[in-house]
Amino acid sequence: MKSIALRAAVPLGIAALLLTGCTSTDETPEETAAEASGTLRLNFGAFPETWTPGYEFEGGPMRIVYENLITRDDAGELAPGLAESWELSDDSTSLTLNLREGVVFHDGEPFDSEAVAVNIDTVKNTPGPFGAQLAVIDSVDTPDENTVVLNFAGPTPSMPVTLSTRVLPIGSPAAIEDGSIATDPIGTAPWAYDAEGSTAGTVMSFTQFDDYWGDAPGFENIELYAIPDDEAAAAAVVNGEIDVTDTEEEVLPRYDGTTVETFEYPAIRNNVMFFDRGPGGLFEDVEVRQAICYTFDVQQMVDVNGGEAATQHFLEGTQGYNPDITGYPTDVDEANSLWSSAGSPTIDGEMIAAPFTTTQSTIYMDQASQLEGFGISVSTVPPPEWFQGWNSGTYPIGLGSNDELTPFEWYSAWFAADAGGNPSGVESDELKSAADAAIAAGDSEEADELWAEVTKIIADEALTCAHARGFEVIAYNSDTVTNVNAPAYPFEANNLNLREITPAG
Amino acid sequence: MGKLISFRLALAVPQLILVALVVFLMTYLVPGSPAAAILGTSANPERVAAVEAQLGLDQPFFTRLFTWFGSAIQGDLGNSYAVGRPVTDMLLERMPATLSLVFGGLVVAVLIGLTLGLLGGTRPGSTTDRVTTTITAITVAIPEFWLGIILLLVFSVQLGWVPVLAYTPIEVDPLRWAQGLILPSIALGVGSAALIARSMRTSMAETLSARWVDTLTATGMSRRRVIFRYGLKNALIPVLASTGLTVSILIGASFVVGQVFAFPGIGDLMLRSVIGKDFPVVQGGVLMIAVIVIAVNLVLDICYGLLNPKARPE
Repeated sequence: MKSIALRAAVPLGIAALLLTGCTSTDETPEETAAEASGTLRLNFGAFPETWTPGYEFEGGPMRIVYENLITRDDAGELAPGLAESWELSDDSTSLTLNLREGVVFHDGEPFDSEAVAVNIDTVKNTPGPFGAQLAVIDSVDTPDENTVVLNFAGPTPSMPVTLSTRVLPIGSPAAIEDGSIATDPIGTAPWAYDAEGSTAGTVMSFTQFDDYWGDAPGFENIELYAIPDDEAAAAAVVNGEIDVTDTEEEVLPRYDGTTVETFEYPAIRNNVMFFDRGPGGLFEDVEVRQAICYTFDVQQMVDVNGGEAATQHFLEGTQGYNPDITGYPTDVDEANSLWSSAGSPTIDGEMIAAPFTTTQSTIYMDQASQLEGFGISVSTVPPPEWFQGWNSGTYPIGLGSNDELTPFEWYSAWFAADAGGNPSGVESDELKSAADAAIAAGDSEEADELWAEVTKIIADEALTCAHARGFEVIAYNSDTVTNVNAPAYPFEANNLNLREITPAG
Repeated sequence: MGKLISFRLALAVPQLILVALVVFLMTYLVPGSPAAAILGTSANPERVAAVEAQLGLDQPFFTRLFTWFGSAIQGDLGNSYAVGRPVTDMLLERMPATLSLVFGGLVVAVLIGLTLGLLGGTRPGSTTDRVTTTITAITVAIPEFWLGIILLLVFSVQLGWVPVLAYTPIEVDPLRWAQGLILPSIALGVGSAALIARSMRTSMAETLSARWVDTLTATGMSRRRVIFRYGLKNALIPVLASTGLTVSILIGASFVVGQVFAFPGIGDLMLRSVIGKDFPVVQGGVLMIAVIVIAVNLVLDICYGLLNPKARPE
């Protein structure tokens, strides 16, 4: 037995020596934290596989290095970004942007109207998720270096909002042209990518850009990490190896008793959509739709699935919000009354769900099955199949996110007769009339009121209901950073007010 | 040996072609369009059709197959649908981390596996044998992911001995590379160590029960010399065969362990590519893994031939 113990001790001893060797040659967590005072260390779980404008990457990484033409102030209102001002034409068919002077890209290239044109062209022609949002731009005029005119195929009052989102990050035309921007992002933001200080796949470094046109941010440098596992990311922020990470509710107990603080903000919107609204369709009758909406108990779903119950799509204070919309509070008696009035139809069908919407879909369909004759089965399919199928008209009903930030976009995407998300192509005269009036109002003061009327009609006609908001959770080490707040950009995952974050103490 | 190497190399070519054809066919048959995955919730039939045309997904099957296959033969694995970058670049960027992890896991698996197998196999039926067998039975059942989390919580969070951010490229700092490999390698290698230990135990026990061993012992040779000078060489032959399988298992398991320890390997890329139907990346990744597995098995076959002349072709 003695020899066994001895043999067993050898590898353990070697392991211990190697492990303790780490502490002698490596930085301790305390040392790491102390040295990082000028460097904000972020983890968003993954590095963008490409930084080329037009491809999918989240707002957090994007806004380290890129800026938008239009931005958001602390209150979340549209504010000058790389464009100092903008003006929508009276008929909303063109947008003139007056660009900021004296702005240069990190590679020294000037930011001008040609650069904007190149970026718009790049995004439009990239097979990515954002091209469709710029497809309405028919042409781009560049009358001088600091003026850009976007000409639309039709009235598009929402374009200033679109330009403030991650749809159009402005990158260096030179880097776009030679393709290097995919791995070496070059924008105009306060931090420039530092290839020398970065280690491929491990850390991306961004250092303060001396020629930045605006105010200096709270941290000189940013290091971006990619820890995909939530448990490991929690360990890293507790250890002081990183300052801020996105996280999940499941790992929140890991932060108990530590200096790590967390907050959450709404980043996802989900709602039930009635697609089969055409003549003879399962959901043609407004009373049928209303009855089903009255059976939904969003709070019960939220209790099980997380998030927050809402009565309407838009947040208070934003265009489209209408205080008169009360939604469909759960009322099974009212539901049954409407159902009887509609002739107690038989609703047989199937809806598809992605793995991330299965629970919600199942709960809602179970709740609706309180109505006699209602039977919609839920099948879970892989995400690409769901993306392709859920609003294609193949299924009568669906549950998914409505990402649109303005009532114009929301109406155009889902409820107008020619909307891609309205496979039945049916739109009431009342809704069309109200929407036409709102669109004609452009960005005038009366537009808010007119769009509130549109969203009220959408709610009254029960074209959609069961609104819920999902949350993003952020964790940060209060020993090392402060002023960590939810993003000014609404409904973007993995985003923060990066410029306002400052070293603690 | 020349014949063995030539034979195995010649066999590798059709193996690779078969893998390429199968993976292409499988990705083609998977329902759902990659264009829909790219467009996300904004996908509708018109947009999906437009992006499919842009990516060449509207072309007939054989056109796509021959285009891809023709390029792959020349080392061009195409561009990612999702991010537009060359697949070869994306895979090569991540391959060092995956190979590091697999190497570390193999070292752990071989060291622990051979040690436990030797201890049990030289004393079959003894207390030592029963203890090592019990250990291997337990360790083979431990999920790599779970073990990785436990190691991380104990050694990084509780003891603070190692950083959570484990991976340092070897060209940046070889010592930190080696240190960063310790915990992930243990998490990855322990399960495979049990497989090697079992194989080694059985093989060693059989070897030592052979008549020629009795003859050697009768000549007065010490048991230690019999085991290490003659027994080990014979016992290792079947173990080598199982090591090839071990490497394949380790590559698969490295995808999971790499997630825990934030290793920027191909696992995360492949996982996202499969979910997102980024087929060029999936096809290229599978092909590259096949090359590695075939190469490792080629090396092991050569070692096998060196140890066992009967395994060499006439």
